[in-house]
Amino acid sequence: MILPITIGVLVAGGVFLIVQRGMVRIIFGLALLSHAANLLLLATGVSAFRGEPLANVTAVEAAADPLPQAFVLTAIVIALAVTIFMLTLAVIGHNDDTKHMPHTGEFHDR
Amino acid sequence: MNPALLSLFVVLPLTAAALLVVVRRPALDRGLMVGIPALVTAAAIYLLFEHRETPVLAHNIGGFPGGVSIPLVSDTFSALMIAVTSLTTTVTMAFLTRTGEDRYRFVPSLALMLTAGVNGAFLTGDLFNLFVFVEVMLLPSYALIAVTGTWRRLGIGRLFVVVNLLTSTILLIGVGLVYATAGTVNLAELVGRAAEDPRVGLAISVVLLALAIKAAVAPTHGWLPRAYPATSAGIMALFSAVHTKVALYGIYRIYSSTYDGQAPWAPILAIAVVATILIGSYSTFGEHIMRRALAWQMVAGVGHILLGLALFSEFALAAGIFYMIHHIVTMGALLLASGAIEQTYGSGRYERLAGLARRDKWVAVIYAFALLSLVGLPPSTGFFAKIGLLQASADAGGWKQWVFIATVLIAAVATLLAMQRLWSGVFWGPAMENYRPEASHGGRDRRVPLPRDLRVTWQLASPAAFLVGLQLVFFVLAGALIPIALRAADDLMTLQPYVEAVLG
Repeated sequence: MILPITIGVLVAGGVFLIVQRGMVRIIFGLALLSHAANLLLLATGVSAFRGEPLANVTAVEAAADPLPQAFVLTAIVIALAVTIFMLTLAVIGHNDDTKHMPHTGEFHDR
Repeated sequence: MNPALLSLFVVLPLTAAALLVVVRRPALDRGLMVGIPALVTAAAIYLLFEHRETPVLAHNIGGFPGGVSIPLVSDTFSALMIAVTSLTTTVTMAFLTRTGEDRYRFVPSLALMLTAGVNGAFLTGDLFNLFVFVEVMLLPSYALIAVTGTWRRLGIGRLFVVVNLLTSTILLIGVGLVYATAGTVNLAELVGRAAEDPRVGLAISVVLLALAIKAAVAPTHGWLPRAYPATSAGIMALFSAVHTKVALYGIYRIYSSTYDGQAPWAPILAIAVVATILIGSYSTFGEHIMRRALAWQMVAGVGHILLGLALFSEFALAAGIFYMIHHIVTMGALLLASGAIEQTYGSGRYERLAGLARRDKWVAVIYAFALLSLVGLPPSTGFFAKIGLLQASADAGGWKQWVFIATVLIAAVATLLAMQRLWSGVFWGPAMENYRPEASHGGRDRRVPLPRDLRVTWQLASPAAFLVGLQLVFFVLAGALIPIALRAADDLMTLQPYVEAVLG
């Protein structure tokens, strides 16, 4: 029961933060959401079985399902990379909600 | 052909991208950036011929048994999609070398990484791998959208990243739910499962919802017309050829194989499709910038393509697939032609441009043919694409028949009127007096009087001309192209060969 409740709390917090205005808050919201997704993926492998999924080391009955673990590993890497990129975007330039142009020396019709 | 070679579609562009990061030679950049997609196009056309004898080619990576392994599968549908998207990508890359954007740091590598992700997404037979390849496609796009275009690119880049990351998270949750309910994410093992078990059906619906947001289906279309025009024309043409199309391919593939017929929520799909077409074509009126108007037309195009799925018969699917081919080529032509004009005169606004029909006759001719195709008037592929959709709608019978036919016709008329505004603003009217030249430090300089001899150069206009010519060839050779679309639709309806090829 703890796992679904945790996922629910993370999703609720993530949605709350995403609908805010600031970019950093949105990034935190997306981080919470991707944590929720990762936990959900882990939950699909039935958390009761948690032995190492290695042949000849763990009995088959006790071994965890390796596939969701592989999923989560991939998803974590992707979320990490995108979060860093978004933080960079949050640092450079602001004012995307207004018509104020940054002084770049360029002139555009937009 | 040995199916193991399918992995080259992903490996080759990725290796080239890695090479270009290490070795920086302008000639090598240009050669590989245009050459690799051209090579992929040739290989995909070869695959199309191959699929006349063997309908499905599947390769289990690493030689693991079917069901455990990660499969790469190619059938007529995926080969057709790779052929058309790579061809458009090749032309777009050539355009990027003409505008000098290939000299921006990492742009050639990023564009090739994008190609690798797109090819992988078309070939994969596994939902989780679809997610991974979509991410491989999106990560370079985040960077590409932020390096080219106007100063708005950074703010818009945030919008694009946030929308796509949120959608990817939903996609990931959907894949997790599919694994929890069905015990597999292999598409061949999921055949018909959503129809048998409503829990799997719900999980698949989450996956399809995520793909629908990525494809910009109403009411979640708003990000596309805001995000795309802020980047440069070449990058926008690249995105328009691949991004929404990968999502649409995924929707076609997953929907038709897992539900094995219509989904229980098919009426909702029909409503969303009609709304997408009408909103997209109507909103084109409100824009005063060429590429923004075209971005709304992309939304309308997404609706037209999904109309085939909403009708769900073999002919309707073929009509939708044919529309997809038409849309990729025509949109590419229009965006590249607009890009050539913007690159030369420094603006895409209707009121800043005028009288181009006298100034650049050939560009006007190219644009006119592309617009005819967009509206659906002959001689163009758009004509056959719209006829196909109308005929498929007429076969459906009942209320669907009237609603869909009315929608397609109203959208065509609305597009015609909106595009007339573009035409009279940009190509007719008095001669232009001033323009913004390219600045030495990037971007644009102050407005100066327009020199008498400034024209859109042939180098800039030729990529668009090539795509318009291609679309005319498709119009003439429609008799040869429609059977391929029908075979692609047959792949989606007859799933037995797919399952046998993947699971062995």
